[in-house]
Amino acid sequence: MTRILVLGYGNTLRGDDALGPRAVERLRPLVFPAETLACHQLIPELAAQLAEYDAAIFVDAAAAGEPGTVHVRRLLPETQTASLTHHVSPATLLAMAHELYGRAPQSLLVTAVGADFTLQSSDEGPLSAAATRALDEICRLLPQLVRDFPVGW
Amino acid sequence: MSTITIDPITRIEGHSKVTIQLDEQGEVIGARFHVTQVRGFEKLCQGRPFTEMPALMARICGICPTSHLLASSKACDDIMAVRIPETAEKLRRIMNLAQIVQSHALSFFYLSAPDFLLGMDADPEERNIMGVVRKFPKMAQDGIKLRQFGQRILETLGGKRVHPGWIVPGGVSHPLQADQRDAILAATPEAIRITREALQWFKGQIENFRAEVRSFANFPSMFLAMANDANEFSAYNGWLRFIDANLNIVADHITGTDYMNYIGESCNDDSYLKSTYYKPLGLKDGVYRVGPLARLNMCKSAGTPLANEELAEFRELERHSVLSSFYYHYARLIEILFSIERMQQLLNDPEILSQNVRAHASPNNYEGVGILEAPRGTLIHHYRIDRNGLIESANLVIATGHNNEAINHGVFQVARQFVKSKKLEQGALNRVEAVIRAFDPCLSCSTHAAGMMPLDIQLIAADGEMVDRVRR
Repeated sequence: MTRILVLGYGNTLRGDDALGPRAVERLRPLVFPAETLACHQLIPELAAQLAEYDAAIFVDAAAAGEPGTVHVRRLLPETQTASLTHHVSPATLLAMAHELYGRAPQSLLVTAVGADFTLQSSDEGPLSAAATRALDEICRLLPQLVRDFPVGW
Repeated sequence: MSTITIDPITRIEGHSKVTIQLDEQGEVIGARFHVTQVRGFEKLCQGRPFTEMPALMARICGICPTSHLLASSKACDDIMAVRIPETAEKLRRIMNLAQIVQSHALSFFYLSAPDFLLGMDADPEERNIMGVVRKFPKMAQDGIKLRQFGQRILETLGGKRVHPGWIVPGGVSHPLQADQRDAILAATPEAIRITREALQWFKGQIENFRAEVRSFANFPSMFLAMANDANEFSAYNGWLRFIDANLNIVADHITGTDYMNYIGESCNDDSYLKSTYYKPLGLKDGVYRVGPLARLNMCKSAGTPLANEELAEFRELERHSVLSSFYYHYARLIEILFSIERMQQLLNDPEILSQNVRAHASPNNYEGVGILEAPRGTLIHHYRIDRNGLIESANLVIATGHNNEAINHGVFQVARQFVKSKKLEQGALNRVEAVIRAFDPCLSCSTHAAGMMPLDIQLIAADGEMVDRVRR
């Protein structure tokens, strides 16, 4: 059986940056049997986990662009930055999975442009109207991508 | 006079900048490490119920939330005037040790290994974790496994890897289960294997880094760490002790009630990072270091067999204290080994599954202090509450603040040795970054800043003009 991971990441205290983890929460029942993971940021040890999957969808918030818009693009293994810290880009994570474990999942990156990234006092603060629209769009789009895999990837 | 600025600095946690000052002849006459962001946790927690502090303070940092959770809970224990159940204390110690393992593994394998494995002069395009992955895949895999080991313990106990819960005022929220204990214990042999191999490898590399050993904040200073009657390594219980470079005790039995008599905090005009100092000697002469190097200099015994063997060998580096901050890396590996062995001991204690893990009480003191050895060094949380249990003031003394003046020493030493012109050469830049990384500074914690991890180095000439600048 094809193993698919939907991975949403972002800081849940930074307004619309919570879009990735929020999407994963809502998608969990909608994308079953795909697995889901919500995390604060992408860290190198996720490479080992990713190598166990056939496909992965990364869901992230973006700051640049028209707020509320959603973009989907194919992601290939690639080292994207030299000044790495403990967090890495999704493409670099795929490159690590490929180099270290011999396989990287076929992957998509879904980004949604947020409007407000200010600090909030709660994990469960409201998203902006634009981010809420984007979240609805992601929840409409992703179950279909998971269901139709590999069509549209 | 000229100044070089390195802004921002890479592979550390937070925003920062380095300025290097030159005289008319182009010789380095000064260097400073600046932290350029602030978030202000001490202010924003005012008015909150003290019981919220552990969860709130854990948000200071994504790397060491557990350390803040523990120090904050200890401060709350103090406010409640409770003695937590013995099993709860053991469980908290396991949590702290797991935090030390995962944080040190991050520092050594992810952040600093590119310097050791690929060389200080290597192109930064290659000298990063992907460079390590390509050229030394086994080392990269081992680093991932070791960090996963620590992270999984935090997740098992705290419910999640980042910002775990479970540690609460009065103890822990629920007891450990037998299957959780067995799963952690089963993973320890592999973690010990990885750590011992990394230690063997690192010891074999030291000879290649003689210049760095000489110049990486290698100077006589005091050291501050937790101490106990047995003079064993201690990360959770005990009092604070200052020792000098000759291992003489300078001040001892410092507790939460009198730490402010010994530790002064100074604000800096050019940085959000405070400098702490040994108060009786003042800011200029009261420089001390905290963290793995301080802890290993402080203890006479690690308290576990394999770590004891390594500690004995470590001690042979110097007659008295080990002074070069390059050896922070070495000390980190020994501390990982100790932490795994100690966790084995604690988990094999039959009482570890006891159901009695939490004490309950209302506030019984208007003030509470929690002290802990976090991975990067001594961490102090100090709260004052009003009659309703709301926070009136909070003071957080963080490891990177303790080390701030020592980091400045290190940046100056390295700049003097490696900056040879009004142009910033790659090798010099790399080493300025690397000396800061040796301390594994956590700027999120120390200034409670949010953001990315950039580096900005500025070279300032004698007339104040910026003659070179590198941003990474």
